[in-house]
Amino acid sequence: MEKQDSKLKHQAVFRCREGVFAARRPRAFVSFGSGLALLLCGWLSEPTLAESVAKNGRQPGAPMAETQRGFLGEHCERCHGREKQKGSFRVDDLNLAIGDAQTAERWQKVLNAVNSGEMPPEDEKQPGRDAKLEFLEELQESMVVARRMLADQGGASIARRLNRREYRNTVQALLGVSLDVNELPADGGLGSFDTNALSLLMSGDQFEQYHALALDALNEVHARRSAPEKRYYSRVEGESRLEVVRKSLQERLDQRRRYMRWVHAVDEAGRRPENQPILQELRAKKHPEEPYRSWEKIQGAPPPSEYGFVDFTRARHEGEGHWALVPFLSYYVSQPDSQRGAFLTPGDNAACNSVDLGVGGWPAGQYIVRVRVGAVEGSPARRRFLEFGRRILGRYTVTSSHEVTGTLKEPQVLEIPVDLRGNEERHFYVAERGCLDDDTQGNRKYFAGVRDNGVGPDLVLWVDWLEMESVPAAGALVGSELERAGIPIAALGNQELPAAELRAGLERFSELAFRGSKPSTAFVERLLKMYEGHRAGGKKPGEALRQIFAVVLASPRFLYLSEPAPEKGRRKLSGTELASRLSYFLWGAPPDEELRGLGASEELAKPEVLAAQAARLLAEGRRRDFVVPFTHQWLGMDRLNFFQFNGDKYPDFDLCVKNAARQEVYETVGQLLEENGSLQELLKSSHVTVNALMADYYGLPGVTGDNFRKVPVPPDSARGGLLGMAAVLAMGSNGEHTSPVDRGAWVLRKLVHAPTPPAPPNVPQLARLEGKLLTTRERLVSHQEEPQCANCHRKIDPIGFGLENFDAAGRWRTEDRYEYPGKGEKKWVIDPAGAFHNGPAFKDYHELRDLIAARQDDFARGFAEAFCEYALGRPYGFSDEPLVDAILERARPAGYPVREFVLGLVQSETFRTK
Amino acid sequence: MNAPQNRRKFLRTAGTLLALPALESAGFRRFVRAAEPGLPPKRVVFLGIGYGVTQETWFASLQEPGVSYTLPDGLRPLERHRHSFSIVQGVCNKLSAEAHWGSTYWLTGANRYGDGSGGMHNSISADQVAASVLGRDTRFASLQLNGSDPDLSGPGHGTGLSLAWDVRGKPMAGVNSPVALFHKLFSADSLPLEQRQAALREKRSILDAVGEEVSDLKRGLNRRDHEKLDEYFQGIREIELRMGREEKWLDVPKPAAPLREPGAGLMGVEEVKLMYDLLVAAFQTDSTRVATYRQPISNLLKSLSIKVAPHDMSHYSIGERMDASQKRDRVQSELLAGFLDRLEAEKDAAGRSLLDNTVVVFGSNLRTVHTLENCPTLVAGRGAGLKLGHNLVVSRNTPLCNVWLTLLRGLGLDLERHGDSSGVLKELIA
Repeated sequence: MEKQDSKLKHQAVFRCREGVFAARRPRAFVSFGSGLALLLCGWLSEPTLAESVAKNGRQPGAPMAETQRGFLGEHCERCHGREKQKGSFRVDDLNLAIGDAQTAERWQKVLNAVNSGEMPPEDEKQPGRDAKLEFLEELQESMVVARRMLADQGGASIARRLNRREYRNTVQALLGVSLDVNELPADGGLGSFDTNALSLLMSGDQFEQYHALALDALNEVHARRSAPEKRYYSRVEGESRLEVVRKSLQERLDQRRRYMRWVHAVDEAGRRPENQPILQELRAKKHPEEPYRSWEKIQGAPPPSEYGFVDFTRARHEGEGHWALVPFLSYYVSQPDSQRGAFLTPGDNAACNSVDLGVGGWPAGQYIVRVRVGAVEGSPARRRFLEFGRRILGRYTVTSSHEVTGTLKEPQVLEIPVDLRGNEERHFYVAERGCLDDDTQGNRKYFAGVRDNGVGPDLVLWVDWLEMESVPAAGALVGSELERAGIPIAALGNQELPAAELRAGLERFSELAFRGSKPSTAFVERLLKMYEGHRAGGKKPGEALRQIFAVVLASPRFLYLSEPAPEKGRRKLSGTELASRLSYFLWGAPPDEELRGLGASEELAKPEVLAAQAARLLAEGRRRDFVVPFTHQWLGMDRLNFFQFNGDKYPDFDLCVKNAARQEVYETVGQLLEENGSLQELLKSSHVTVNALMADYYGLPGVTGDNFRKVPVPPDSARGGLLGMAAVLAMGSNGEHTSPVDRGAWVLRKLVHAPTPPAPPNVPQLARLEGKLLTTRERLVSHQEEPQCANCHRKIDPIGFGLENFDAAGRWRTEDRYEYPGKGEKKWVIDPAGAFHNGPAFKDYHELRDLIAARQDDFARGFAEAFCEYALGRPYGFSDEPLVDAILERARPAGYPVREFVLGLVQSETFRTK
Repeated sequence: MNAPQNRRKFLRTAGTLLALPALESAGFRRFVRAAEPGLPPKRVVFLGIGYGVTQETWFASLQEPGVSYTLPDGLRPLERHRHSFSIVQGVCNKLSAEAHWGSTYWLTGANRYGDGSGGMHNSISADQVAASVLGRDTRFASLQLNGSDPDLSGPGHGTGLSLAWDVRGKPMAGVNSPVALFHKLFSADSLPLEQRQAALREKRSILDAVGEEVSDLKRGLNRRDHEKLDEYFQGIREIELRMGREEKWLDVPKPAAPLREPGAGLMGVEEVKLMYDLLVAAFQTDSTRVATYRQPISNLLKSLSIKVAPHDMSHYSIGERMDASQKRDRVQSELLAGFLDRLEAEKDAAGRSLLDNTVVVFGSNLRTVHTLENCPTLVAGRGAGLKLGHNLVVSRNTPLCNVWLTLLRGLGLDLERHGDSSGVLKELIA
């Protein structure tokens, strides 16, 4: 066994921070120079709304084509016209321009009725397919535009509540305490960003939750600062597992021994002449176990209980089932390395599928987990990944995966930082990747090994020990922001403050929490009175202070981002307000000291200062709090969580890869920001941003380690750009099969800025092809039959077919098959050829990708719109078009470098005004 | 705005009737039969299942209206209760066009674009209308229960925090686990009365302080921001109302729990069973008379070892997905049958079967896939004088709110309309 003191010798120490976009400030500043030059000439100017709207596609309120009138006249007006108004509904006076909510509602009724096939009634003359198709398409598109117009907020920013992650970050910045905010209700749910003011609601329950969370946080500050910091340390040695395995092996051998004896005894009795008739009868049943199951019928056969078994079923289970694992357990026990560590074995086989460490009772705070691990030399690369995670309610939940490059001779020590929060379960584990995703994954691997060699899978990963330790002096950071603001931490304990200091401290704390705005005098008075009340009621000074501070953290100036504004007209934001907007945009957190200072002094009002600050914020690791939530929501990546992947079909797409695939998307966007790369890289690129695990999944050689970095791909590679990413392709599937519809719709929505309207309700289902053995294309051809379906699916489906060379988990394939239980299966060679609706044709995925990549202007517009929506906290409206036009104008000449979008936005009039 | 002191005084006197001005505009008159002494308390519970059902095997044949219809596969587990429930066919929420939202408008019948602001609009849900009357004399005016699915807005339910929407059309929060519900209903408060009174006073002063602050903040804001901050203000007001009730019940000990405290972490089938048991217990102890339950889907499927994802299941075609969808239907019906068993068996304080004075509604705004027409609607229980044992086929696209109106009136509320109702559903009245 190797003790900790020997670990300094001959071993690589790896640091595996989650820190994906590690700060590289100096470089970022240099590469930012080009942007700066542009900015010095001043603020971004925006065209007028009229100019913008005139340029960009369908105008709000513009009338639909006259042909709509013709359709209504021919098919509707006889019953819903001037003469007769069945159901008190008439269409003859409908305005072709949808300019108000009433008109929109009436058209919506028409749309619903035609979509559902309710109108025209069955016994009336039906419109032709093409006429219906054109009518629906025109109407649906107009409705999308009209809804957007009616929802337009006139370019005004609305006050809004902090969303869940901003709230967590804000408390973290203020108190240095990391809260578990999962109990707060999730934000959003309206299909927009979690920054959208309209969906950030508030209820009484929530108020109480905020108050309780704030009190928790303040109590934690007090607890961690008042007691001398204690060192927490726990360690589990790998070889501690050996005794358990050995015992299990002994027990199984004993069970087998007793079982065999019982079987012999039954056989013995069975040989008696008087038992021959019954034995023949039992044997006739053809089940070799029948004589033992019915041992009671055999005279003189002893009961299983005489051999220590409850009954036959248990005897058989313990004597046969348990015995099946004996070869593997013997193999495990016989390994010399099992004496000094633990091999991590796949499957539920009583060996060692995980090494666990429980630290229940440890307080919240920062900790470090270390694991000393090595892999058997020459073992397959795919199995040399360790997963680390938590056990929550008995379920193993992976949080990170790590390539193992150490060996048994020279193990490595992995270091994994861990934040313990609130009452979260405190149970951690390491295992071989993908063996604990569900009950079947590990066993599949185990039985594959048994089939291969009769014993079980080769031993690959070996753990010397797993330990966890508190980070020394981390507690000192807790509450340090308060101290800087002049609030003595001791006051949260039992130090009574003189009245004047108490008032000043409360005011300072409030102002800090309120991001520079002052609390009302009445508020302060009330809190001071409350403090006195607590004191009079016997509470200690610190407790009373925490109580009133908690109220500050549940009050509206803390929970809401709002700026005072005149009823009419606009005003410039103050430096302090601008600082807040900027940091919530790029960090999802309040401004730090530097930014606050520049805001307070109004320095931030200078274009070059604002640009430099934006650059600084983006260069720091905290930009992750912009990159991840924005990218995740922009690309609709929650879909990746919807499906569990079929482990039989996609054994390599385990949760480790799924997480890494998701991460790849974030890292790619982060990388673009880091080097101010072109947005175009997201459509097609000569590089991918991967780590060892993803590189292995894509079959790219020569990538080692867990950090993501840029790796070139061959010119003919399918990878490079969003379309080739496993996460994006997997989102367009259900974990079993690909979904060309979801993929096609995603491309239209996210890449070429031609979103299709939402799926309409009440469209009749097509059942004609159900249950038939068909190719994917054959099955989806039914979409073209009904006009209600065809009007969108003729645009969606061909793009999806062009991506069929990727399977549900994003791996390249040339064949597909469809299996129908009981009916057989059908195999076919994938035909990816197709054409955009009314657009160019492509013969394969590569051509399709090139066609999409050529539409970078459309992509950039969609991106800019999403970007503004996220940053401004409101649905994108027509009044935002001048802003987007200006941003695009500015970014286009240089080929859309991504930081131009950020700068274009933060320097815009819109961003800087209320 | 009034000073907080005055506001509070007003609220205390007004009690839950504060909701009245808005209700009056919805045709509500201040006449309450249900609250008359001597009459047994009426109860109602709405069970929302999000994604719809398997239309081929859940709905009874339209050709077999009336009492002698063949019970379809999906409802077969309810055979023993066939005289205690009816299915209503032909109703829908006509103003709803959200093809993935089975719960958001289920009990409200509202139009998403109804207020013209571009934000999401909703209006009061049927359970809250019921609670404004039936909820006056119980510890909890209503209970909102939710399934344990991680994404509440997910699996076919749509946006919202529970099935309930308050008088302003804002989402109401719910209880997400049987354990939490158990504690809410039965956990005795160990603090002495005086301390609890002090805690209430303390809470009041907190509300006063932040109320002061929000008024001050609002003064500088424009109209739109004003409205946003008003949500916060309303949130506080909601607590004040709740506290008024809490105060009334402060010295009344919580009832003894008629069942054991449930274990943590139960999901799916077990979770639904427990929630049903707790609902029975809540009615039995008269802790509340109105409840909603937004049921789990993802975790239900998981607990049945169904691998098909909920959204895929809802888009079933013959094969694994349809099997999953049908199995889900059967299990939900079995669970419902178990719930009705319990309601039938348990007696209220006066020794009557709970089901005598209870209405149980089961269904969703979604029929199947993206279809909203003829949404699954099952009503059970003898609490509202409804016609039971029938396969009721009404004319196509009858407002679902007509059903709600009919049963709310049957529960004793004097109500002229609810949501987009056009009148009572005479066919549904016994």
